[in-house]
This record gives sequence, structure tokens and C-alpha cells, in this order.
Amino acid sequence: MQMGRPGAIAIVAAAVIAMAGIHAPRLWGQTTGYVAPRATDGRPDLNGIWQALNAANYDLQAHPARPALALMPAPPPVEPAGTGRARTGEVPVPAVRALGAVGGVPAGEGVVVGNEIPYQPWAAERKQENAEHWLERDPEVKCFLPGVPRATYMPYPFQILQGTDKILIAYEFAGATRTIHMDDVGNSPGPTWMGWSRGRWEGETLVVDVTGFNGQTWLDRAGNFHSDALHVVERYTRVSPDHLMYEATIEDPNVFTEPWEIRMPLYRRLEDGKQLLEYECVEFVEQLMYGDVGLVDPATGQRNE
Amino acid sequence: MDHRPVSAVSILAVIVMLPFAPLAAQNAPTAGDPTDARAWQQPLTPWGDPDFQGVWRYEATIPLERPPRYEGRAFLTDEEVAEIARVEEELAANRLAGLDGAAVGRQSLEDSPIRGNEYNAFWQDHGRARQVYRQTSLIVDPADGKLPYTDDAREAAARSTARYGVGPYESYLDPDTGERCLTDGVTAMMWQGPNGGHNRIVQSPGYVTIVHEEYLDRRIIPVDGRPHGGIPQWLGESVGHWEGETLVVETTNFPDKTNYEWASIWTRTSDALHLVERFQRVGPNAMEYTITVEDPKTFTRPWTAAVPITRLADNTQIYEYACHEGNYALKNMLSAGRATAENE
Amino acid sequence: MRTDLVIGLAVIGQVLATLPVSAHHAFAAEFDANQPVKLEGTVARMEWISPHSWLHLDVAKPDGSVERWMIEGGPPNALFRRGITQESLPVGTEIIVEGFRARDGSFRANGRDITFADGSRPFVGSFSSGSP
Repeated sequence: MQMGRPGAIAIVAAAVIAMAGIHAPRLWGQTTGYVAPRATDGRPDLNGIWQALNAANYDLQAHPARPALALMPAPPPVEPAGTGRARTGEVPVPAVRALGAVGGVPAGEGVVVGNEIPYQPWAAERKQENAEHWLERDPEVKCFLPGVPRATYMPYPFQILQGTDKILIAYEFAGATRTIHMDDVGNSPGPTWMGWSRGRWEGETLVVDVTGFNGQTWLDRAGNFHSDALHVVERYTRVSPDHLMYEATIEDPNVFTEPWEIRMPLYRRLEDGKQLLEYECVEFVEQLMYGDVGLVDPATGQRNE
Repeated sequence: MDHRPVSAVSILAVIVMLPFAPLAAQNAPTAGDPTDARAWQQPLTPWGDPDFQGVWRYEATIPLERPPRYEGRAFLTDEEVAEIARVEEELAANRLAGLDGAAVGRQSLEDSPIRGNEYNAFWQDHGRARQVYRQTSLIVDPADGKLPYTDDAREAAARSTARYGVGPYESYLDPDTGERCLTDGVTAMMWQGPNGGHNRIVQSPGYVTIVHEEYLDRRIIPVDGRPHGGIPQWLGESVGHWEGETLVVETTNFPDKTNYEWASIWTRTSDALHLVERFQRVGPNAMEYTITVEDPKTFTRPWTAAVPITRLADNTQIYEYACHEGNYALKNMLSAGRATAENE
Repeated sequence: MRTDLVIGLAVIGQVLATLPVSAHHAFAAEFDANQPVKLEGTVARMEWISPHSWLHLDVAKPDGSVERWMIEGGPPNALFRRGITQESLPVGTEIIVEGFRARDGSFRANGRDITFADGSRPFVGSFSSGSP
């Protein structure tokens, strides 16, 4: 490296600060002075197709890149490091190995304010277990409905459709749709995957209060999870012609010791005539889920043992 | 009661896309007759489109195809209407009293032959009497009220009926698309589904969105008359435009799924399927909906159904239908099929 | 009364025959019409899910053991629209289920008829909230 010594120290210092999870607020809470156009009810117009552009669905917390979503330990070295032959620490599990770089996990700076998720001790262990058993346990693998807030930052667009007393958020992944009740409705009669959403305006921000979860969704592919006591409060604010600011407070007395928050920009899809397209993945996972259940395996045409 | 004359002209009127004459009979709901069009004006959304928002459902007794006993007749007689209405009232009263359709008069399980579709009627949503209209079939064109199947499609329909519940169910390919929690398609979405199939319509500038409760099927319909793209999708690609107060929607770009099992062959998609729907709100709680189905791979000619649809109370909700997530039944069907075969 | 009933059933048959094809339930693919069951037990858990809700029933056997049965019901959304909620069938409620056993011989049946011990049915007595 050609850089002088002070430069190198500055880089190392910045890295240490970043790794310690100290993020200077960037624009959050400080309005840019942008005033969104009005929808016909005098409220900000949130209509449009939006998408998150980050690595949050891989892992809400800051993380480096790694070879795969599911890794297994390789045999450890018997000699002290550096004295013997090279060994690797982990390798992709066989089920994902053939994907190569397509199956890798990109790095991310994290979207959690403070970069800590305040798990109760039992839950921190469960999260670790989830991560170690990602392939079997992540509901995304089976095309199950992603829940909230995960649906927001899956790598697919979603569309906000502002009706008169209902706002729909239509997600491309699995055709998931949320109805945000802007009128007065009671509680959810039963637990659901996508929760029960009640919305209100606070100035320029759409605030959505979500309860009624069934506890079966995950928050990302890193094993972060919750129970059916999950309570999410989302905030959607226009900050420019083509950006929304998204904040979500996550609370679950069964799992976390206190509420915590995620934040990220959402970007407008600007292509002319852009529409949501289908990602009807139920069919994509039938072989995985049912191939060996019936009399015959469609993949081979042979009888199952 | 707002009766309008019945005549052959009414049938032709449907074909030339003019509003047809729904003739609600004596058992229309006691409050807010859905066809009372006298004092009603089409409400508009704040941006000036006709406002169809709310939760809608088909609540009438009209069969899709004309039953043999009504052959040659497009309309019921007054006596027939009255009798059907009377039975509907009785069924509704029975349900309210806790005597269900499946259990009327029966003393034990053995009294009721299994048709393959029963549970206690409390799971159903027919608390009130269904509406009776004079149409003998939803299909108003062709004039015989029958699906104009090609020979291949007719054979496919017969095969599908014969194997329903019987099998074979050897793999996940054997149940129909609905049992697999995929979709039942677009064609019957406005009037089919368990308990009639609830549809919530939400409008926003430039879009009419229909959220169907079963399978959470969703249609986001741009209403600016833009040209269609080219990407095939299960629910096709819909583009709408307004003709006065009528929403006209053209849907194309369906994939060929004729090699799938469908519960109703007439809802299946081929890559030649083309739908034209017309939605017209004719009263505070009434919509006249027509659909013209064209698919040379399934039908010898286009056919049109005219369906009266009812708007439900403002506080009616669509609930989550996480079909795939809860689909124990599919697994059970497959393990049953395997057990049955292994026991033979 | 009997005459009315016979006529009633005939008309009902007519009316039902004219229903548009309704919900998927390939009953015979899952359950065996030759294996009727009548189960008395207590609700262990109720899954208010679609396309079928599932009632987990603890059935006490004469020898003191308890069998856990899974009973298939209809989709719950119609009930939700009538004001029924997940609290409406609490754990421990005594229930009688008549139905037919699963073909694969497991402790599973369809809940063709679900009643309380006095013969009354849960979840009845109210119209859909969609009533005008």
C-alpha cells in the first residue's frame, strides 16, 4: 500500500469504530426539507413501487462476506497455526456447495441502530442454533410468508397502493399482501404470518402498528427470530422524489430484553411502466417439500422407498 | 322493488356489452335492496374515477351452466323463483337455528351420504338467504347457457370430474392447482371460492387492485390503458380503462398450464387465453360483472357470463389465507395415496 | 312435518346441485368413508389456519391412556367474519367429533360433525357480518 502511516492509522481507527457499532446518524430524523406531493386526501403520496437495496435480508447486523448461507466446520489443524500445512475453517455444506459464488453472502453494514439485538439469554442461544440450522429452519426456504418487517427488505420490489381507508402494501415475494387499516378496526381474530396492521398519520410519516403475529417468521437469513408476542411499529417517510425512509421498532417481551430499531432507505423503481411481477414460489418448493412424500417422486418417476 | 322487463333483447344487450337487467326476486335482503337504483348515484374516488371500493361477493343461486330442467329457457318462471327463494329462506333459518344443510333431518352420520365436501355448515358463510335472479345460468352467451368446450377439453373435464377425490394421488402433481395452494386462476375469481370468494377492491390513482381472499390472489390493474407487456403469469397481465362508469379490463399473457390438474377445466390457462371483463356498479351494494372468455385451446368459441355481485358491509374484512403454510391436507393426501397403494 | 322434510330435501338436493363448484376438498383422497369414528375428547389446541383449520383433540381411552387426534375442519375466515376469534374454543373444552378416519391409519379424521355434549354446535347463532 502506498499510503503513509497516518492514513493507515485513520483507516484502522475508522474500521474499529465501525465494528464497535457506533454509527453517526445519517439524515435520520433530520428532514431534508423535502415536502412530498399530496395524495388526494391531503396526505403525503406514498404510491409507487419501492425496493430496499442492502444486505439486511442476509443479516440485519453488520457482517463481512462469507462463502455460503450454510457452512460446516472442516477438520481443525493439529499443529500450531503457521507451523503446519494450511487448513480451512469452514466450507459450504454439500447442499449449497454447487452454487459457488452465486450462493455466497455479501457483506453489509447492518441496519440495526446500535448494531445490537438485545436477546434474552435463552433467545441468544436459539438464534445461534437457528443460524447453524438455517437450511432446515428458515421459512423463506419453503416460500412461507415472510412477515413484517422482513417483507420490506427481501430482494424484491413491493408496491404501495393508497386507497381511501385502506392502504395496501403488495410484495412481489410469494404474492404477499398487507392491508393497512386506516379506519378503526378491532383486533385480529387469529394469529397470522403477515400480522394485523393499523395505520395512522403523524405529520408526514405513515405510522403502522403491527400485531397479531403467529411467531413463525424469521427476521433475516441469520436466524434472527421472534415469538407471537412480536409488536412492530413501522414509519414510512418520503425524503426525496425517489426515496422513502423506513424505520421499524421491534418489541417482543418473550424474546428481547428491550425494544430495538432498524432503519434503511427504500428506493423507488423508476423504470417506465414498472409493474410487480409474479414470484409464486410455492410451486418452486414442491419437489423439496413433497417429492419424497407420495408414492412416486416426480424428479425420477420412480417409487419412493 | 325495481323490476325491469325480461326479453331476448336483454340477452343480446349483454353480448353487445350494454348493462343487462338483473331481476332480483322477492327474497332480496330486507334492508338496502342491492338493485334499488332509483336514488343512487355512482360515487367517485377523490381523483374522479368511479368508486368500487369495498369487499364484494357473489351471493346468488345461479349455476354456471343451464341445468337440463331449464333447457331452452334463459329465465325462470315466477313460480320457480318463488320456490327457490322459499328454500333459501328455510336453509338460512336452519343455519341460524344450528341445523345445517348437512344435518337437516338426519339422525346420525349414516343418514347422510358422503358427497366429499361436507363439514358442519358453521364453517360456511351463508348466514343469510342467497339472492335469486331470473337467469337460469351465469353463462348468457352462447344462448344454450353451456360451456362451448372443444372435444379435448370436454374429455379433460370428464376425466377431471371422475378422478376428483379418487385419484391417483401419487405425487404433488396429482392434486389440482388449488389443492396445491397455487391458485384457481382468474376466470372465476369474482364469484368462486369457499363461501363465495371475498374480493376486496382498493383503488389508488391509476390502479384498481383486487385482493381475493382464497390463496391471497392479487390483481393490481393499471387503468391507464397502457399496452400489455409480454411476461406470462398465472394471473395473466391485466390492463384496464374506463368507458364512462364501466371498468373494462383485458387480460392476456397467460402461460400454458393445460397439463396441470385444474378443479374446473373451464378456469384453466393456456397461452391462448384472453379475458375481457366489465365491472359496473349499479347500486350501493350491487355490481354487474361480465366476463368474456376466449381460448381456442379449450373452447370452440368465446363465452360470456353475467354475474351479479354484492357489496358487503363496510366493516367486512379479508383475512389472511396462508394456504401453503397450513397445507397439511396435501401431505395427508400423498401419504394416504402411498398407504393405499402399499396395502393393495 | 315428514312430507315437508322429504320435499325440502329434494329441493335442497336441487339447489345444492346448482351450486358453482366450491372449495377443494378431495375428501376421499384423505379419509376413508369405510372407517367412521366418533371421538369424545378435550381441545388441546386449535389451529385457526387455511385451507383447513385443525383441532387437536385429546381422547381419553378406557385404559387411561390419551390419544392425540388431529381433526380437519373448514377454513376459519367465515367464522372470523361472524365474530368468532381464537379465544372462542378454549383449550380444555369438551367436544364430540364424528367423522372419518385418515386413509393412512394415523390419528387423524375430518371433523364432519362437531358438537358439544348437549348436541349443540359451536360457532352458530349469528349471521355473517356482511348482512345488510
